[in-house]
Amino acid sequence: MAQESNVVVDHGKSQWSDLWKKEDYLAIWLGFIIIAVSILAYTTFGPKAEFAEKITGLSQVQQAELDKAPFKTIAWHNAQDDKGKLKGTSTPFGKFMTQWVTKPGSWKSNPLDAVIRTEAQAQALNEKGMAKYEEAKGNLEMALAAAVAAEGAAAGASFQDQALNDEAASKISAWRDAHKAAGDAKKKVDNKPYNKIPSLIGLCVFLAAIFGVGIAMMGKSMPAFMQGFVVVFLVAILAYLLGGQAISKQYGFGAEAWGVVLGMLIANTLGTPKWVLPACEVEFFIKTGLVLLGAEVLFNKIVAIGIPGIFVAWVVTPIVVVVTYTFGQRVLKMPSKTLNIVISADMSVCGTSAAIATAAACRAKKEELTLSIGLSLVFTAIMMIAMPAFIKAVGIPEILGGAWMGGTIDSTGAVAAAGAFLGQKAMYVAATIKMIQNVMIGVTAFCVAVYWVTKVETGESGKSVGAGEIWHRFPKFVLGFIGASIIFSIMDAGMDKDLSKAVLSSGIVSGGTKLLRDWFFTLSFAAIGLSTNFRELAKYFKGGKPLILYVCGQSFNLALTLTMAYIMFYVVFPEITAKI
Amino acid sequence: MNEKSLPVRLKNFTLGLGVALAFVYLFLPLLTHSCGILDRMSVYLDKNGIDPSRYYYTDVEQVREGENYLRFALEEK
Repeated sequence: MAQESNVVVDHGKSQWSDLWKKEDYLAIWLGFIIIAVSILAYTTFGPKAEFAEKITGLSQVQQAELDKAPFKTIAWHNAQDDKGKLKGTSTPFGKFMTQWVTKPGSWKSNPLDAVIRTEAQAQALNEKGMAKYEEAKGNLEMALAAAVAAEGAAAGASFQDQALNDEAASKISAWRDAHKAAGDAKKKVDNKPYNKIPSLIGLCVFLAAIFGVGIAMMGKSMPAFMQGFVVVFLVAILAYLLGGQAISKQYGFGAEAWGVVLGMLIANTLGTPKWVLPACEVEFFIKTGLVLLGAEVLFNKIVAIGIPGIFVAWVVTPIVVVVTYTFGQRVLKMPSKTLNIVISADMSVCGTSAAIATAAACRAKKEELTLSIGLSLVFTAIMMIAMPAFIKAVGIPEILGGAWMGGTIDSTGAVAAAGAFLGQKAMYVAATIKMIQNVMIGVTAFCVAVYWVTKVETGESGKSVGAGEIWHRFPKFVLGFIGASIIFSIMDAGMDKDLSKAVLSSGIVSGGTKLLRDWFFTLSFAAIGLSTNFRELAKYFKGGKPLILYVCGQSFNLALTLTMAYIMFYVVFPEITAKI
Repeated sequence: MNEKSLPVRLKNFTLGLGVALAFVYLFLPLLTHSCGILDRMSVYLDKNGIDPSRYYYTDVEQVREGENYLRFALEEK
């Protein structure tokens, strides 16, 4: 054995042909083709230059207003609203993408509402919301009149009278609240008819084709894949349908959860037909989805709430991951290291997306990913309700409560819900902390991949490995994921913030990469379900160790996050908290 | 698993799907409407268009709002 450990394993199996034959590389090429098309559509051939010019003009108006008055005037806010109307998704390409890369929508009592809405139904919905909209519009007009009068009075004193300035700022703030309320009411009267069935059929053909080409390049049967893909796609549609119901969404049971549940039900009762299995390309879907997700991992976001945000999200999180993983290995003696790290990352980073990235990076089994996400969903639903109630009952300040929830509740949607229930500022802080944590998944996936290849897999074989072997084993798609993240972070940093929002976030991402990313993950969960055996899944839950790991890790996470948030927001940087 | 006859498999599938649907579309709504805090949360989420099932920040509108608010709040002297 001692002699074996001195042997360096360096088979150097990597070949140039891997670039067009191996799944990881094909996921990178497919992801980057989609990214390139999206970038070109919204920059070179898109509205970037036009938006840049408009934003420059509006920024000049805003600067003039700031130079004039010691508060943000009505004209300043109007210019900001005009900036917000500039969206890549409003362009012809954006509308094409949002129409054709569609998914079943939300519904309350009739599932057909998710795919078809007639003219009459749209009209009925608009009429239902009209009274509230008219009321909100009336309030808005009154608030605006009061704000105009107050600003006029302040201007009359050349903005030298503090009392008039404060009154104007207060009336403008009230006008902004009425503006938001009117905007929310307008959404309820802006319903349009739709029929998503043709788009869904077209999308199925498109996705079958693009993935089919990749499958063929891997040396597998493209016809066999495309045939089975129809069923996987159908399960994904049903998953979107079931996950789009209001109550289901409220408890966090979205398309991903339903994809696994439906798929597993089919697999373990009816039995997944053999001709469907060639299309259950879980890893190919996930890896391509992760490369696209890289476009949304923008490193510049980590400074959104200053140093306190960095400490709560980027210092606490790695500590919790490492401590939980170590606890799982040394104390609980988890039989599966991959399950351990996936649960640790899922619980401490940002839930489902972190679980997906980590599982792919360490080549965890699909049952381990399913179990981890299942645990996360259950505790997210509980924490989303219990935490704001506890925070209110105990009297924890809003900012601290928001930071605590943002750093501990797993999914971003649940964080927003819990934060909103506590208060508006709590929601803003919670959602921003969560966003900063979300950005961590790129680093997490990379570090887990490196650690696994250099330490865990070599430790298991008892042999040393050379650089060639490490490269061969390294999950290459992680490089695509990080590469996309770096490219987009550079683009984001090189643009004006408003232009980045209009072209990058509301164009390339919302009208391109994110639409397909969402589908790729849903397809992967449907495929996981269709190829999972209940007994295999139950095996991983034996002894309850995953549950104990999650509970212990989350308890530590809760304690450490609260402590760090308190120190950062109330001891070290109280001035930041005061500004919020 | 596939040794069972088609009618048995169909029955098991229907039962399994029925249980899942009943849990989400019968039990959860009942629980929500019978518990004050859950009911208030349900109304609030519906009114404000918040979707707790979304898992990444780019899927959640409220993150954009929060980012915008904090950007201007922290820029002020």
